[in-house]
Amino acid sequence: MSQPDIGAELKKAGPAEPLLPVEKKLIGWSLGIGLALLVVLLIVNHYLPVSL
Amino acid sequence: MSVTSESAQWSSTTAPGPWITEDWLAVWIGLGIFVLALAWLGGVDLLGWVVSTSVWIDPGLALATASKTYAQLGGVGALLVTYLALLAVLSVGAAALNLDLKRFAVAFTAVFALAYASWIIGSYAYVAVVTPADQQKFGIGWSLKLTNEGGYVVALLVGLIIANFFPRVAERLKEAIRPELYIKIAIVILGAFLAVTAAGRLTLASSLLLRGVAAIIEAYLIYWAVVYYVARKWFGFNREWAAPLASGISICGVSAAIAVGGAIRARPIVPVVVSSLVVIFAVVEVLILPFLAQTFLAQEPMVAGAWMGLAVKTDGAAVAGGSITEALILAKSAAEGIHYQPGWVLGVTATVKVFIDIFIGIWAFVLGYIWTNHINPTAERARFAEIWQRFPKFIIGFVLTFAIGLSLALAAPADISARLPAAIGEANTFRVIFFVLTFFSIGILSNFRRLWQEGVGKLAAVYLLSLFGFVIWVGLAISWLFFGGVHPPLAS
Repeated sequence: MSQPDIGAELKKAGPAEPLLPVEKKLIGWSLGIGLALLVVLLIVNHYLPVSL
Repeated sequence: MSVTSESAQWSSTTAPGPWITEDWLAVWIGLGIFVLALAWLGGVDLLGWVVSTSVWIDPGLALATASKTYAQLGGVGALLVTYLALLAVLSVGAAALNLDLKRFAVAFTAVFALAYASWIIGSYAYVAVVTPADQQKFGIGWSLKLTNEGGYVVALLVGLIIANFFPRVAERLKEAIRPELYIKIAIVILGAFLAVTAAGRLTLASSLLLRGVAAIIEAYLIYWAVVYYVARKWFGFNREWAAPLASGISICGVSAAIAVGGAIRARPIVPVVVSSLVVIFAVVEVLILPFLAQTFLAQEPMVAGAWMGLAVKTDGAAVAGGSITEALILAKSAAEGIHYQPGWVLGVTATVKVFIDIFIGIWAFVLGYIWTNHINPTAERARFAEIWQRFPKFIIGFVLTFAIGLSLALAAPADISARLPAAIGEANTFRVIFFVLTFFSIGILSNFRRLWQEGVGKLAAVYLLSLFGFVIWVGLAISWLFFGGVHPPLAS
């Protein structure tokens, strides 16, 4: 099957770009909301155990 | 795969674009099989001719029809009729997708033959038998103990051998190498099978659904953020590469990489490259994780099922990996005298995967909004309509067959609902065949030589570090937290 030249494509990407504030916010908020929701679900899981 | 990748794959066609996507085609084919199977509820057996394989030592006894109604066909006759029926239906699909029909028919014939031969080999007693009692029954002294679902692994290995040692053969088969189509048809059918399984234990099933929500949070909010950070900060990838890469590694492999690539307006080459890596690593996972699960998680079957859904990327590899895991763990438990009801481990894997898939469109829209408004402001802003455009439509088929199957199991008169397991069982035989085709196709797409191509090393390093250093273990921890101590019902 025809394959793209990945090395050439990656070279086209240019130099590394620093993380923008909006990216830092995205990463931070995702992790924060994710961890908070997991804690909520764990509490739900504790009080509503799986029943057969 | 989404339409984007489909059009990339089918660039050989010069006709106008297909009027139907592979996603919708899977829904219609899956629903068609489901509806035909339901005729059995009225006493009409329309699908009993489909071929099924038993564990064998005498090749003459390996194949049979799924139903005794068509027993006169014999095993080979059933195989031939099944092949012809699938060829006819999939050729209509291929025509709708503007594929070259002649090339598709030739390629599908080879794909079906090789994949089903792998499945038959996987059912050979020396490969499949697990318990000492069965070894005695077949008069053998040893076996690989892969269960008869070991045929999936055989199909995958045969595909891998062709891809890596006979690339020209792989090239000739490409018209019929459609793992996403096959697995989506299988998942639509799987909805009905899970409904029949869940109907017996509705409270347990709804408890498990609630816990599936944890998978969404983990994949989108935790995995993605960490992998994106690793790709950007530690490996220096730019945003165009890092976002599809993070989506491929953390969400749902191919579909997510392509949806996010489109949403952030990345060049089409980026998600295509990421997708090819996703498939290669999914193969590695499927060859390792089910056996790890059998060794270390046999006492926690539901944890193992959830783990497959969270750790193995791409729908095909994950759901089929869940199927292998279930077979391996149930066989090990049976050898210890514990007989679990089949379907629950696979059900957890499929639930986790489907829950994750549902949000691909929304996540792609969120990223698309941020990219087109704040990172690379462009006139072509992200639109709400894209959420529906990127929604994996096969989920509609899965939900429909699950809802109809559950309604019939719970609300239909007793004489009708009593026939439901047999009816869905026939549809499920097709599901197994589509799983085999998926495994073989994934193998064919996995050319490991790509890992040695210039530039791939850095991409693979992100994947390797994230998957084996983080995704797999966090997935295991979350699975343990939410599914630990939950066991499938015992078989009656």
